[in-house]
Amino acid sequence: MDDLKFRRHAYADPNDQSVEFIEHLATHPQDAKRVNELKAFDEQINAALNVDVPNDLADKLLLRQQLTVHQAHKKRTRYLVTMAASIAFVVGISFSLLQLTPVNLSQQAIAHMNHEPKALMSDKDINYQDINFKLASIAGLKQNKFINQPGRVFYTTYCDFQGVKSLHLVMEDEHGKKVTLFIVPAETRMHLDAQFADEKYKGKGFESSDAYMLLVGEPDSDLEFVQHEIEHTFI
Amino acid sequence: MFDSLRKKKSDPTVLSDMLSKQRRYDSLVRALHTDIFRYAYWLCGDKQVAEDITQETFLRAWRALDSLKDDKAAKSWLITILRRENARRFERKQFDYSDVEQEHLEDVFSSSTEDQTEQYWLRKQIAHLDIEYREPLLLQLIGGFSGDEIAQMLSLNRNTVMTRLFRARNQLKDALEKTSTRGQANG
Repeated sequence: MDDLKFRRHAYADPNDQSVEFIEHLATHPQDAKRVNELKAFDEQINAALNVDVPNDLADKLLLRQQLTVHQAHKKRTRYLVTMAASIAFVVGISFSLLQLTPVNLSQQAIAHMNHEPKALMSDKDINYQDINFKLASIAGLKQNKFINQPGRVFYTTYCDFQGVKSLHLVMEDEHGKKVTLFIVPAETRMHLDAQFADEKYKGKGFESSDAYMLLVGEPDSDLEFVQHEIEHTFI
Repeated sequence: MFDSLRKKKSDPTVLSDMLSKQRRYDSLVRALHTDIFRYAYWLCGDKQVAEDITQETFLRAWRALDSLKDDKAAKSWLITILRRENARRFERKQFDYSDVEQEHLEDVFSSSTEDQTEQYWLRKQIAHLDIEYREPLLLQLIGGFSGDEIAQMLSLNRNTVMTRLFRARNQLKDALEKTSTRGQANG
């Protein structure tokens, strides 16, 4: 190792641990002395570099980070609250829109018939007082009641016309055929057809004492007879 | 939002994750804030600015703490963030600091003893060094990095780094010898 190379090594890193450098120092006591001087000089530089650090710097750093975490947490909470509020808002809006959509009663009535074939199997004989009892618990039909038995009633249950609680009855026409009657509280968004039918059933809609009546029966049943009977007993 | 939902673990795990992250950060701050502050000071030459840069550096480190896989690499990782933060200072126009302002170098070392006088002069000389010579020296002495590591951090090749270290020490020694000659001449 020539002198120039030695100087470059020593000045670049007096603590150089390369074999070449260490061997050179072992054989050149004069250079070893120079390296020791350089190491001492490094100590001096180090001392000069060690400027005072503000005492509370570490605490300040931690505090700043804690505040950031706190802020982020607050922001996230606010975000979640906003999110929840928007979702609630959308749900509210769509729910009320759903409530406002016009209801086609005929279609609903036919759909009910197809969904509840067991209603037509029933063979009970229900007293009109029981029907009145059921009517009394339906909002919008509280004032209505039967004042007399409207022929034989085989079956009675509550049912739902797009969110509106209604009454589902199975009655009998003049010839003993079963006819289904839906009593729905009158509402403006309801659409009531006077006549309707599909392949299996025919139906009739009319208004009686502020309630919508839907009669559904087989194509050859006598709906007028039942309508007549209802109009005379239902007030 | 959905990502965070998917990542959601049971509460105790989240809590302990956060605690261990906090603990990791605490020890990082306590162990390294001195070196980071000194490095920042010798980069910018102003205590207040150095403190600001240190704050920014550690804040960024907190946000990115999960990306630090190896704790042994923490120092070089922090210095990388610090250098980027320092560079950003020059991009932002409102901060119009020049590089170390030698004339304003704080004279907090009232020269009561010869040692302190010498240290004051040395500080001035270090501040006078060109940044390209000063920085490798800082990395070597404050950071304790090897030539290879410094080369990697500064994106230079090793020979360039060694040459710059050589010149840095050479200039400091020359300057100091001149001063002491002058001192003797004056005395």
